[in-house]
Order: sequence, then C-alpha cells, then structure tokens
Amino acid sequence: MSIAVLMLAGGVAAGIFGSLLGLGGGLLIVPLLTFGFDLPLREAIGVSLVCVIVTSGASAAVFLERRVANLRLGMVLELFTAVGALLGGLLAFLVDERVLAGLFAALLVYVAVSLLRPRSSALPAAGDETGGSRKPGRASFVDQLSGPDYRIHRLGPGLAGSIVAGIASALLGIGGGLVKVPVLHLVMGVPLRVATATSNLMIGITASTSAWIYLIRGGIDPYATGPTAVGVFVGATIGSRIAHRIDLRALRVLFTVVLLYTALQMVRRAAGVQ
Amino acid sequence: MGPGQDAKTAQTAGLEGSVARLLRLGTYVAVAFIASGVILMLASGRSPLDVAPSFDPSRLVDDLIALQPSGYLWLGLLVVLATPAARVAVSVVGFVRAGDRRMATVAVLVLLVIALGILLGTAGA
Repeated sequence: MSIAVLMLAGGVAAGIFGSLLGLGGGLLIVPLLTFGFDLPLREAIGVSLVCVIVTSGASAAVFLERRVANLRLGMVLELFTAVGALLGGLLAFLVDERVLAGLFAALLVYVAVSLLRPRSSALPAAGDETGGSRKPGRASFVDQLSGPDYRIHRLGPGLAGSIVAGIASALLGIGGGLVKVPVLHLVMGVPLRVATATSNLMIGITASTSAWIYLIRGGIDPYATGPTAVGVFVGATIGSRIAHRIDLRALRVLFTVVLLYTALQMVRRAAGVQ
Repeated sequence: MGPGQDAKTAQTAGLEGSVARLLRLGTYVAVAFIASGVILMLASGRSPLDVAPSFDPSRLVDDLIALQPSGYLWLGLLVVLATPAARVAVSVVGFVRAGDRRMATVAVLVLLVIALGILLGTAGA
C-alpha cells in the first residue's frame, strides 16, 4: 500500500514540476523510478513512455481547439519521428542498460544547463521572409504545411531532426520535445508557440510507436505504471493551472542542481558503481 | 492562398475539432481504467514492485470480469497506446474527405510504421 501511495505522490510531483518547467514528465519520471524505487532503467523508460503519452493527450487537445498546433506539419514530421522511434525501440533492447544510463546522464546535463540560460524571446528565425523564388511543385506542399502567418523553411533538415527526436524518445523514455521544439522553431522557422503546441501533439505518435515495442517485449510493468501514470496525469493538470502564479526563477535554479545531482548518479550507474 | 486552399483550411478546422475530442476521450477513458486498476491493486494489497502478470490478450476479458487489477491496468495501457493511432486513423478519413490525397497518404504511412513496429516487436519478443 505505502509504496503505491509513494509512487502516486512521486508521479504527482514529477507531473507538477515537469509542467511548471516545461520539461515534460519523462526526464523526471525515469530517475524517480530508478533511484527512488529501484526499478531497472529500461523498465522505468517503458513506464515513462506511457506517462508522456497520457500527459500530452489532454494538452494536445487544448492546443488543437485553440488552433495553435499545426496538424498537417505535425503529421508529416510524425512520420519521421515514428521511424526514429521504431529504430530506437528496437535498439533499446539490444544495448546494455549502462549505455542508456550514460545517454540519460548526458541528457540531464544538457537540460540542466539550458534551464539556466536566459529565455530569449528574440531567437533567430530560420531563413528569409516569405517570398523569393519558389519551385512551384515543391512550394505548394510547403505552402500546405505552413501556417496562416508563417512559412516553413528547410523541410529536409526538419525531417532529419525528427528522426533524431524519435530515436532519443524511444531510447530514453522522453517525449522528445527537447529536440522537436528547437527543430521546429530554429531550423524550420515555426513561431515558438506553434512549435511547442505541434511538438506536444506529436508526442503521442512518437512515444506510442516505441511503447508498443516495449509492451510486446515485456518492457512495461502494469503495476509500476498504474500509480505513476495516474500521479503524473494529476500533477500535470495541477501544474498547468498554477504555472502563472509561481516564480519560476528560483525553481529553475533548484532543478538545475537536482538534475546535475541526478546526472552524477546516472554516470555512476553507467560506470557500474551502484 | 487561393480559394481551394481556404476550403482545405476550413475542412482542417473540422478535423482538428474531431481529433481534439478523440484525444481527450481516449486520455480520460485510459486514465479511468488505469485508476480503477490502481484502486483494485491497493484493495488487494499488491505492491507496484510485485511481479505483474505479463500481457496476454486471451486472458483480458476474464481478468476484467474477475476484477483483477492487471486486467484494468492492461486495458488502460492499451487505450493509451491506441489513442494516438486512432487520431491518425481519423485524420486519414478527414484528409480523404477534404480531397487531400497527399496528406492522407502521409497519415496512412504513419499507421504503417506503427504496425511495422508491432510486427518487428512481436518477431523479436
């Protein structure tokens, strides 16, 4: 009983902080389950994949209704995140857990550092403004994928970035927004708001493609997933409602320390020091 | 944007509404099943760290009738995993209705990649 309640509470906390910091749940759920509850890393990644699909489902619906997410562009990029997730899902069962721990440590350090960087609202947009010479055949497809007030650029690199996002998601149990949002915004020139919403919409397909492989191969434990998923769902709902009332600066500094400490633990695990 | 593009945008607006409703419904139904499983788990004194029965589709209905926690948890997990694919399936229909064959093809390909994953996952299990 008590472990289930603790897991539920841990899920709620991961959901709240993930939503407040815009991290998505995966980054916090995997360390919570491996270090807090001694779950094997690959099993924690399986649980995390389920949790990120659940949390993204409800928020993606809101983004679609507000017409912020770009359904067409999301669908095209999803094809490539799904291919990446398929490769990553198969790869996850071939590599040693210590390799996964090493990759996760690198991810934690990257996020910890990026939390401290000031959020610049004037990020350089990709490419030139609308107009210029276009090839009619290709341009019409790009037009279809562009929004009413923005035009997408560099579809090719965007598709390649989506494959990388899919592989990272499947190997580490994350939604992959860390890769998708920069690809959409910085590479393809999609406005940040639309990039965040479209990335959120894509999480479901990205994470479920590899989650099916985890489920079939026995990588998802229903007993551990149940309390965690319910907790994360509740926590993310709470987080999205209180975000505007909280000073996030102190929280960012706190979490930078937490993530760096967790990264150190992951490095120890990767090195075989338990 | 020409008039054809406007018509497509209008069609997509309807599709976005359907997709949003489906996502919300799928998520809430899944969470309801998983939460029921958790309550049954607590009531029967099982720990999240106990060894859970592996996924067996042929046992699912019996487990649900017998109020086995694992039955409700597995059903919830299946709904979680199937909801994104259902969204893409609905999009295929929406794009075909809008006469947008290119987007419909992309959506069908997404479903094929998921199916391939399930197939390869099963083959290597």
